[in-house]
Amino acid sequence: MSSAVEFDERLIETLRSLTTIGIHNAVRGFSGLLGHKLEFGEPNVKLVPLTEIPMIVGGPENEAVGIYLRAEGDFHAQIMMILPLEKAFQLVDLLMEQPEGSTTFLGSLERSALGEVGNMTGTFFMNAVANALGREIRPTPPAVMVDMVGAILDIIVATTGGVSDHVLLIQTCFKDGSRSVLTDFWVIPDAQSLQALQQAEKRE
Amino acid sequence: MKEPISVNLGEVVVSSDPADVLVAYGLGSCLGITMVDRQRHICGLLHAVLPHRLNGADPYCAKYVDSGIEGLLNAMLKAGADRRNLIVRMAGGANMLTAAGLSQTFDVGTRNIESALETLQRLNLPLHAQETGGHSGRTVRVYVASGRVTVRVVGGVEKDL
Repeated sequence: MSSAVEFDERLIETLRSLTTIGIHNAVRGFSGLLGHKLEFGEPNVKLVPLTEIPMIVGGPENEAVGIYLRAEGDFHAQIMMILPLEKAFQLVDLLMEQPEGSTTFLGSLERSALGEVGNMTGTFFMNAVANALGREIRPTPPAVMVDMVGAILDIIVATTGGVSDHVLLIQTCFKDGSRSVLTDFWVIPDAQSLQALQQAEKRE
Repeated sequence: MKEPISVNLGEVVVSSDPADVLVAYGLGSCLGITMVDRQRHICGLLHAVLPHRLNGADPYCAKYVDSGIEGLLNAMLKAGADRRNLIVRMAGGANMLTAAGLSQTFDVGTRNIESALETLQRLNLPLHAQETGGHSGRTVRVYVASGRVTVRVVGGVEKDL
């Protein structure tokens, strides 16, 4: 079991800048995939106490979509993208170039589209982090789940609960013309990777 | 009507106020464990996150299943419950990750259930009912007035446990 990591201002700042690069990279990749420019809002990065997470996503019993993947290799982290169900429908419409309100149900095609969002975002994000750190990072295939917010977030809580009381939240907004979808990304680097990051900082 | 009392991650709530409803919302791999003393109208709910207490944590720490059950029992007895009357139920402990390659790694849900069964046996507390495992989140409610315990899954209706 790894020991707890102190999130000092400097570490948060490092994670914030890595994340911003990562999200930029992800959106660029996405635009390439869609064939037209997708924009995104300036990411909002903050440290959130574990116990407050369910409230941020609209209450723990609300139905939501979670897209989860892990980073493996030289840097271990978990990435969870979580969207209230309505937002997930909007994102599917945006991705599949349908009028807003077309998607009312998540079938296998819609789930696969959302999985691809997680896959692309996660991969581009990790590539940016890997470049910045000079380390090799690989994403696992994404898992898409539709359930209560609290239950989805238990994945994060259960895997970090013994180590850290806080996790990093990145909120950003996908925009396509006048349509935009706010998404939350939870990035949970494991304690050893954070320590490595801290040590790399100190050496600089 | 009074707002239900939300029992959050790593919390224990015990009540003898008939107007109270205790709720643990959206349990995934977490476990909701309830104890009810019908004779004395005392109910308690624990929302535990991880199976085993870490060294240095409080012996009644509600974040962990093992110490949380001890904490819930202790709080029930302190509130005046009679151990012999206690009806114990539990729900949760789902495995939320079903994708290939990911599911085995963190099956915290199953380990939580195992820890609960071990702890209850050690404390000699019989388990009255459970709805555990699977891949769906659950919400657990305890109605203090009647001692009724219910479980609901997403898109489903509330059912008695």
